[in-house]
Amino acid sequence: MPDHAEDEAKYYDDPEWADIEPIQQADQGPNPLAAIAYTDEYAEAMAYLRTVMARDEKSERVLRLTKDVIEMNPAHYTVWLYRAQVLFATHADLHKELEWLNETASQYQKNYQIWHHRQLIVSRLCPDPASSAATRGPPFPGAGIDVDSLVAKETSFVASMFDKDAKNYHVWSYRQWLVRHFGLWDKGELEFTEASIEKDVRNNSAWNHRWYVVNGKEGSEGVKEEKVREREIAFTKRQIRLAPQNQSPWNYLRGILRKANLRFSTVQDFCIEFADLSKPEGDDVFSSHALDLLADIYAVDEGRNEQAKRCLLLLKDKYDPIRANYWQYRLEMLDKEMGSGIDSHLPEHETRNLTSAVSV
Amino acid sequence: MAISKAEDAMLEPQLDKIRHVKYWTRCIKTLLPHQYTSNDSNRMYLAFFIVSALDLLDALDAASNEEERQGYINWVYRCQHPDGGFRMWPGTDLGARSNPENAQWDPANIPATYFALSILLILKDDFKRVNYEATLAWLPKMQRPDGSFGETLVNGRVEGGQDPRFGYCATGIRFMLRGSSTGDLSVNGRTIPDVDLDAFVRCVRVAEAYEGGIADAPFHEPHAGYTFCSLGALAFIGRLSTKGSIDETPPTAPCDPGAVVSWLVHRQTELTDPDAGVDSEFTAPQDMDDVRELENGKTSGAQHDGTVPAHQDPVGTTAISIFDLLVDGAGMNGRINKVADTCYGFWSGASLHIMQQPKLYDQEAIRRYLIGKTQHPVLGGHGKFPGDLPDLLHSYLGLAALSLAGCGEIKAVDARMCLSKDACARLPAIWQSFTAGR
Repeated sequence: MPDHAEDEAKYYDDPEWADIEPIQQADQGPNPLAAIAYTDEYAEAMAYLRTVMARDEKSERVLRLTKDVIEMNPAHYTVWLYRAQVLFATHADLHKELEWLNETASQYQKNYQIWHHRQLIVSRLCPDPASSAATRGPPFPGAGIDVDSLVAKETSFVASMFDKDAKNYHVWSYRQWLVRHFGLWDKGELEFTEASIEKDVRNNSAWNHRWYVVNGKEGSEGVKEEKVREREIAFTKRQIRLAPQNQSPWNYLRGILRKANLRFSTVQDFCIEFADLSKPEGDDVFSSHALDLLADIYAVDEGRNEQAKRCLLLLKDKYDPIRANYWQYRLEMLDKEMGSGIDSHLPEHETRNLTSAVSV
Repeated sequence: MAISKAEDAMLEPQLDKIRHVKYWTRCIKTLLPHQYTSNDSNRMYLAFFIVSALDLLDALDAASNEEERQGYINWVYRCQHPDGGFRMWPGTDLGARSNPENAQWDPANIPATYFALSILLILKDDFKRVNYEATLAWLPKMQRPDGSFGETLVNGRVEGGQDPRFGYCATGIRFMLRGSSTGDLSVNGRTIPDVDLDAFVRCVRVAEAYEGGIADAPFHEPHAGYTFCSLGALAFIGRLSTKGSIDETPPTAPCDPGAVVSWLVHRQTELTDPDAGVDSEFTAPQDMDDVRELENGKTSGAQHDGTVPAHQDPVGTTAISIFDLLVDGAGMNGRINKVADTCYGFWSGASLHIMQQPKLYDQEAIRRYLIGKTQHPVLGGHGKFPGDLPDLLHSYLGLAALSLAGCGEIKAVDARMCLSKDACARLPAIWQSFTAGR
């Protein structure tokens, strides 16, 4: 629990700090830029911080001081690193540190340093989960850490952060690190993405995490494996039917086909479900993304360039006018290829060997 | 901004230039309020916004005299680190008590160095006091084996995320000091190695996502800010691929420029209200019901069935009408299905300029969004979302985005460097002076 009395302590009047001669901020001259009206509290804490850093002091009182500074300026680019060093040097209770981080995380949700610090603490508590994995369960002699309990606490904390902001970039990145570090690939991550997507089918971060869980494990084939691919394609199609104008699953579908080296035309009929241009009574379009994919499908086939053009024109004039300039550009590219007779508008994976190290 | 007649809706809203100049003049003349304390370690970045904004508005000379400008230059040099590079602010300087043991707590900082040099450039400094040799020697030490750059060097370790922002700033520093030259440099008899350009290209490539944008690390979600930084960095080092095929001698990126461009143009969105219940671009009446029911814990027939398409009437597909679009404009977001935010007008817009496709996005729509929706009508500057109070970052990027989108009241901006073309044009003379000095 935050100790308010300590937060307000004036270091200058505190006998515990009597040995310190604080270092005032270096003179900035008569015309400093972006000068801030510091509170006395902040100016004082920073002066004391500089002094203990100058001595490279590693003591408990430094933990209280760094906490104080962090709460006023969490983006200070060395204080977190200094605090970590002091935590380890003083053998501080790292579980307590995680609890404090839990409390402060909601304030500093978008701060990179807080997540990096968390990663350092968790790595220190459990540097090699693989070796501990053999004896999972209650703390075993010599280990001092119950891996399963730590993982449960971390994933639960991450889930609670998502309740506040389901798209927090740092939290998703941290979750990816948890998966990799603790080998959680088959431990409910796929189900977690499904639940997140069910909560909000438009949460692109959840889709991205699913891609990672399916394809990110070193040595795994991901969607190149037929069973996996079929499951993922079925899942994606289901989600598209719920909200056809949601771009996330359409990109996911394209990603699967590219990685598995399948032609986009394999989903042609599916696209037509949402963009049927064959009806005499008029176009039946529920999704501009379906039209976009159809344009790519038809463009591959010289005989169907006119159909590709039609899709692009509909996007430009009717179904996605905000991107009219872009659809016009696509039309011009198509014309160029039609004129030259060269079918160079194939989707990238259909024309080129991916020799570069692209993790798709 | 009341629209009384239909014709008024068609008139483009005007930039309130005077109010913006007032906003930035206040920033340069007075202390920033104490609420900026949490940004104390970003002061060089904030200073860049202030100086560059006044430059873009052609108001630097009006807002400051020669003596003051020299004072600003001196402040920047006060932040220069003895071993090369610059600090973000004087706060880590241990002064007389600095020694080799505590040096790790007062490191030079990569973004600080980039913004410090940018400020000097804008203020027409000749760079003669820049520790050119030490700064260039420091850069390769800031690069990791995987090609990425860090923020600081602490106790021999490259710290900071594996993040294209640092790659952007590091390559930007390199660009300002040595232009397009490559390979080892001979300076005062000392050989200074170049950074590993091939490795940097590789680290961008592996962060290209399945959806087409670029992230900060492999498998992370692509993001317009990271995409801008990656593309800008590639442009700085001459390794940017804007056409269909990629090169291997030397290696370029991105691997699929078409996919990146498509991803970028899709950042433009009519969705402007962060408080709207539905975070999506198209919203049909049925769609809204589905989501509301979800929130109530119920599910619609379409979901249970799974095979019945959620029918969207194309006429009622957009939540707002074309009329609204003409009035409100359309900003840009940073990721799929997120709401528009002023700053992405720059990150996403400038990225398209760097990819040499400046016309592919709707420039008029974004001007309407930035001027009509996020420009603050009383204080000047820009907020993040419509109705927000202005802050330095959004106010600056709002101006930069407007300039790129064709607003004639603001100086032309160099899309890579995010400052005026005027300032950028001074670089060749600086490169010359460094070469001559060696």
